[in-house]
Amino acid sequence: MTLRRATAVLALAGIAIAGYLTWVHYNGLEPVCVGGGGGCEKVQASRWAELGGVPVAVLGLAGYVAILASLALPEEIGAAAAAFLSLVGFGFSAWLTYVEVEKIEAICQWCVASAVVMTALALVSVARVLRPPGAGRGVSVASP
Amino acid sequence: MQRRPAIVNVAILAVLAAAVVFAAILISGGGDGDETTATPTPGAAAAQEAEKLYAGIPQNGIRLGDPDAPATLIEIADLQCPFCAQYSNEAMPSVIEDYVRTGKLAYELRFRSFLGRDSVRAAGAAAAAADENKLYEFADVFYRNQGPENSDYADDAFMRMVASQVPGLDAEKVVAAADDPLSQPAVRDAEEFARGIASTSTPDFFLRVKGRLTKIEPEGTAPADYAKAIDAALAAA
Repeated sequence: MTLRRATAVLALAGIAIAGYLTWVHYNGLEPVCVGGGGGCEKVQASRWAELGGVPVAVLGLAGYVAILASLALPEEIGAAAAAFLSLVGFGFSAWLTYVEVEKIEAICQWCVASAVVMTALALVSVARVLRPPGAGRGVSVASP
Repeated sequence: MQRRPAIVNVAILAVLAAAVVFAAILISGGGDGDETTATPTPGAAAAQEAEKLYAGIPQNGIRLGDPDAPATLIEIADLQCPFCAQYSNEAMPSVIEDYVRTGKLAYELRFRSFLGRDSVRAAGAAAAAADENKLYEFADVFYRNQGPENSDYADDAFMRMVASQVPGLDAEKVVAAADDPLSQPAVRDAEEFARGIASTSTPDFFLRVKGRLTKIEPEGTAPADYAKAIDAALAAA
């Protein structure tokens, strides 16, 4: 799979996760949590579920959409934009995971899934920036 | 012109990304929010007034007053609702003194959680206060310190500040319930009850006499308006 295609697949997965959490948020529903335990509800109801009045799920959705849209840019600029966005997403996901464990004391499986996707996106996006000029679409990474 | 090495580009992007994340964490109040966003504790006068108002009146969960009272006034409220706070601060003391303390009415306070996340957290906290038969004092102090709607003011520090002003109330239990409101049966019960009787606004009042509910609709917000509406409903019951 090429790095560009991996970026597209991961961004779409992120859009699905963040889109679901956004839909749940605005419909006042509880996220489906495998195994129960109420972790997702607890995280969603915490003060960290919003940033500056904007739900974190919406910010994540916007980030994934922007990363997907960056694929439409010329490769060099698009790779840099995707790397920047995914590094921001990775850093923010890392901080949110810390907050879940240390402050809220609950884990939301959907948030963890998003953090994993964002981490993979950061790795793939940085690899796109690091690859030699002209390597273009021929560079492959192993499929999971 | 010589191209910049790719690794330098990545380093620049990483530094910029770290700056954005750092700014985002600052906006959100930081990881130590519990401590750093503590709301200043107001004077004890408000808490003393609340304690005095309810002193000596039996309290059991969401119910206040004589268990054998001939009628029950049911209030459906939301701790975030400014009109509920206005009622609590201005008219409710008269209702308590004139009707509940005298045994004419029992009072039932049901907190909905439909105005936003602060409402859900507040309803969870109120449920914990009800478990310790301190709901009325907790609600009174909460209303006196109510913040702007959906401004995320009802954080752990705020809950701790309110709960700590109610003697005998375990503030940490209240904070824990606010953090996990949906585990409190009273939160769901209040929503189901309100939907069951088609209550769509707060504060909403009903008089229950022998299982029959009558909606109370005061003409204004003054204590006399409530007294008039309650008297009319009692006379008609």
